[in-house]
Amino acid sequence: MTTSGKKSEAGVIRDNEFVRFCEFFYRKTGICFEKNKRYFVDKRLLKRMQETGHESFSSYFTALRFQSSGEEVQELINIMTVNETYFFREEYQFECLVESVLNDVVKNKKLGDIIRIWSIPSSTGEEPYSIALYLLEHWDKINDYDVEIISSDIDTKALKKCKAGVYNARSVKSLPKSLLERYFKEHSCDSFEIDIDIRDAIDFTHVNLSDPAQTDSYRDIDVVFCRNLLIYFDNASRRLVGDVFFDALNPGGFIFLGHSESMSRISSLYKVKKFPKAIAYQKPLL
Amino acid sequence: MALIKTKKVELVDSPLPNNTFEELKVHLGGPDVNIRRRSARDIVLFDGAAQALFAALEKEQESAVIETIFSTLQAIGSDEVVKGLMHVLRSENAAQRNRAIEVLQTLPDIVSLYIIELLNDIDSDVRIFAIDILQVLAHPDTPKWLFSVLKDETHVNVVASAVDRLAEVGTIDMMDEIISLKNRFPNEHYLHFAIDIALTRIKGH
Amino acid sequence: MKRILIVDDAMTVRMYHRQLMESIGFEVDEADNGIEALEKSMTASYDLFLVDVNMPKMDGYRFVEEIRQNKDLMAMPVIMVSTEAEDKDKDKAYLAGANYYFVKPVKPDELKEYVSLLSGEYI
Repeated sequence: MTTSGKKSEAGVIRDNEFVRFCEFFYRKTGICFEKNKRYFVDKRLLKRMQETGHESFSSYFTALRFQSSGEEVQELINIMTVNETYFFREEYQFECLVESVLNDVVKNKKLGDIIRIWSIPSSTGEEPYSIALYLLEHWDKINDYDVEIISSDIDTKALKKCKAGVYNARSVKSLPKSLLERYFKEHSCDSFEIDIDIRDAIDFTHVNLSDPAQTDSYRDIDVVFCRNLLIYFDNASRRLVGDVFFDALNPGGFIFLGHSESMSRISSLYKVKKFPKAIAYQKPLL
Repeated sequence: MALIKTKKVELVDSPLPNNTFEELKVHLGGPDVNIRRRSARDIVLFDGAAQALFAALEKEQESAVIETIFSTLQAIGSDEVVKGLMHVLRSENAAQRNRAIEVLQTLPDIVSLYIIELLNDIDSDVRIFAIDILQVLAHPDTPKWLFSVLKDETHVNVVASAVDRLAEVGTIDMMDEIISLKNRFPNEHYLHFAIDIALTRIKGH
Repeated sequence: MKRILIVDDAMTVRMYHRQLMESIGFEVDEADNGIEALEKSMTASYDLFLVDVNMPKMDGYRFVEEIRQNKDLMAMPVIMVSTEAEDKDKDKAYLAGANYYFVKPVKPDELKEYVSLLSGEYI
């Protein structure tokens, strides 16, 4: 049954359709598309409409809205969000880590205690290695505590790349030259291998966050970096992972999410904490 | 260098290995928050879990445990759970009511058996909560249920909630009824605004 | 220019309140639950919060309690709005720390008046 008074033009998203979609997407993800993203959004919507065999936006939107599996919503989120990884991506969070968060964490630690940081997903390793480099270069208490960095992924191929630790120029583009020289071996203008000492310092593990048998063993974590992962999960899975991290964290421990992510779409268990450089989410102290 | 490689992450024994249902029920009311939380999770395997969880919910104060109770109820997702959550909708506790709505939103097949009853509840707040459930409920009859509210509802806030949802899922054939609300509720400024928005969303201009 | 954060999970309510607030010269941001509202309140500066009660993830009462515990935000004026009309609901709002409580549907002129008064802006 056609639901438009006039026939939808093929290949065109009307203004009210764009707005309806944006309101729906905002509710699902917390992400708001401004008008200047119109072309970006329309193009992707039309692509999905074509791929799913819907001629009109309204029939596509109905199918999207009422699909109980939520698969199409997930697919949309995948294509609507741009995700690339590189060293020191969203650097302000690493600044926040060394300038603020770790200082809070050590309030509950004695000198010589272990601090555990969990970076998940490891993807190809840029994030956990970035954490390591940042701690070594910028945390003034790095010699007072032992720091364990654990980094996990569900993708074994990605984990292999992490352990190999070889990156192209694009990946290291945000690193200051001095760091690049200090911690990487340059094989060519487009191939940089991170030092074995840094590679060895990180424990890369394979983990499926939906499996409690696997996640139950992650405990006594002080800081979780979970950036640009949960946005791709459905509501139930996000909540589940919010619970996994809650159990993994020490009381007073922190989570960092991706810059366009919001805890408002994940879990209500954490306190929102503002620091000079970033917002982080804290498991309440006992 | 103070970056150290962790020892292989050791499997932590479940603090409650192989507990019986009776033991879990006791732990659900125990003094340790982590154990209560763990019990609320592990009890999912047992018949009678829903009843035990609802009983625990009445006394539980810790949000982390409450959260697990609701997550487990959602995982059970039975007719008994839906009926119990419908009861929670009448609670004085706003956080628990809203959490109940969130769980009910994920159980379209069972909720569909009770939604009409909720939409006709004697309490206008419960009727609004039913419409809140419909905001997310992935059931193809959602637009039809929302539309049914418009015909007979007399409480302006209930009608307004339904109109708000229809802005997203309303269809052209509903427009006449939506417009007629302006006459039925002539002095309701917000409602008229919501109606105009819904009409714009539905017809596109 | 004064800035208001409107917190409500109903899209048309946010739009309606936005229109009212912009008509008296306020800038407006929106959030659809208490957690998102907290996040926004920590990254932008507001003069008043206009907060619904029933929202997913974090309801209005809890949001107000969190605001009142935060040293940077504790003095912020908060107006709560809700469909719930009983005295006990009003009491709960004031106990949580709200400055004023309106029952929906709100009379536009009354809302504008209270927002202006509480945010220190006089029309």
